[in-house]
Amino acid sequence: MEFKKEVEILVPREKVWNFIWDVDRFIACVPGCKEAKTIEAGKKYSATMVEKVGPFKVEFPTSIDVLEREELTHIKAQASGADNKIGSRMKVDLDVNLREHADGKTMLGFVATVDILGKLAALGHGIIKRKADQVLDEFAQAVKKRLEGEG
Amino acid sequence: MLRRFRLEEPESVAEASELLARLGESAKVYAGGTELLLAMKEGLIQYERLINVKKLKGLSEVAALDGMIKIGALCTHHELEKSSLVQQKLPSLHKLEQNVANVRVRQSGTLGGNLCFAEPHADPGTLLMALGAKLVAEKSSGTREIAAEDFFVDAYETSLQADELLTEIRIPDPTDHSRSAYLKFGYLERPSVGVALAFNLNGGGLSEVKIAVGCAGPAPRRVPEAEALLNGKGREEAERNLAQAGAVAGKASQAITDLHGSQDYKEHIVGVLLKRAFQSAVS
Amino acid sequence: MAKAMTKLDAQVLPLSFTLNGRLQELDVEPHELLLDVVRERLGLTGAKRSCDVQVCGACTLLVDGRPVSACTTLAFEVRGRSVLTIEGLAEKDGKLHPLQEAFIEHGGFQCGFCTPGMILAAKALLDENPAPSEAELKHFMHGNICRCTGYKKIIESIMAAAKKMRSGS
Repeated sequence: MEFKKEVEILVPREKVWNFIWDVDRFIACVPGCKEAKTIEAGKKYSATMVEKVGPFKVEFPTSIDVLEREELTHIKAQASGADNKIGSRMKVDLDVNLREHADGKTMLGFVATVDILGKLAALGHGIIKRKADQVLDEFAQAVKKRLEGEG
Repeated sequence: MLRRFRLEEPESVAEASELLARLGESAKVYAGGTELLLAMKEGLIQYERLINVKKLKGLSEVAALDGMIKIGALCTHHELEKSSLVQQKLPSLHKLEQNVANVRVRQSGTLGGNLCFAEPHADPGTLLMALGAKLVAEKSSGTREIAAEDFFVDAYETSLQADELLTEIRIPDPTDHSRSAYLKFGYLERPSVGVALAFNLNGGGLSEVKIAVGCAGPAPRRVPEAEALLNGKGREEAERNLAQAGAVAGKASQAITDLHGSQDYKEHIVGVLLKRAFQSAVS
Repeated sequence: MAKAMTKLDAQVLPLSFTLNGRLQELDVEPHELLLDVVRERLGLTGAKRSCDVQVCGACTLLVDGRPVSACTTLAFEVRGRSVLTIEGLAEKDGKLHPLQEAFIEHGGFQCGFCTPGMILAAKALLDENPAPSEAELKHFMHGNICRCTGYKKIIESIMAAAKKMRSGS
């Protein structure tokens, strides 16, 4: 499943860039993401993704690897996790782009390729797709709010 | 093999409600189990206790009373299929119940259970919205009525409170002018698109038009923007507006591209089913 | 905050029911499935676990004459009821039920995996409707899947059995 999101943030690019690497503040914007840890700054992180749809709950201990990094412009990362209780695995390939607009505005765009494998995928493809879309939307809005709110 | 759980068998709705209040998320109401047991077998959910509600009395009746058809939440799809009252007074619901899943699911599955599990690819909720049904929710401290269109919050999520049980489904008595139809489409095991249409046909004019779409999105929903295109119109004009109403209803169905088909396809099918439902309802 | 699942002690439910015409008594736990009790504990392996999601009908049993998916029915639910498996369909002296005879005569099975479920479902159909139209037959049997025959012979077998049963043989 591929998702493309773009959000305009009314702060300069550098501020957005720095925000991304501030793990605690950044993770706070990801719905359902808890217990973020820096394993190797700039390279490797871990977190737990918890999502609920009705009575169904999944908990993915996730490891995040930064694969590419171009200062102020581009990040390529991969997140993967498994919920052994349910027998499902998750993999997200993330491509993040920052573009500076005139007058101190930033265009934050990302492409997320989400793969869910295992029982969950077979049973709830449509539900997962909708949920993933929802999570990414909320995430984009949360980042915008957080950065613009901080002035 | 299922994981071990304890069975509770309350003898009254109040007792069942108290159990739910006390046990919280570790317990679940269990009736026919046709959806619940599947999810439990897959390991997607677990409960310490199942509350068997099939011993509760008076929840399996179908009766015409006070200008309503009252259907007990524990009525199985098979019982509704066999009910002469449902067949005579609510032919569109009768046809729907006759075509739920397969004969074995109809034997064990209850209407109440179907509504409460709120699986997106289900039939009854969509038609009940179009029929103006009210759902009765009971707990130890009282009873309330929930309009069908307010019952479904999201996929697998209803507006029932944690300690409430669905006990009855109430459908206003149809008149000689009442028309309704429910059509569904799918090639997988569960339906991919469902459309319900209901209206009064009086002297060649339509009134009280209700349109609901289900299965394509996370929950069934009414489509007032499509209803407006048919409501208060003469039959010919309504028929001319069907294509547009179908397009509007399709967009409102919240369809997404998945294993059941592309978004475009499902939206298109909504329009096709609405047209056919109209033909079926007026004939 | 959800409580951790505590290890639950076994809850014993005494189960008494009629199985193929004979009284059966055993203890079950609430979570035991009817299919497992019938196959593993009672040794009646005619009913099959196939899709395990109530879709294919290979696990069909008759409870009080009505078809259920044994794979998704809790065993305690048959307390006080009568259960029929394929093993109980023929008469005690071995004389086959007209449906069984018809399936043989008309080639209504190939690998035989779906057949116990098919025959029991067909019995429930004919008990309810002794003279079904082909459309009615197909509607009732819609939930029983066969991968071998293409269904034509199954329909012929059931219709032939129905005719025979109506004529009182």
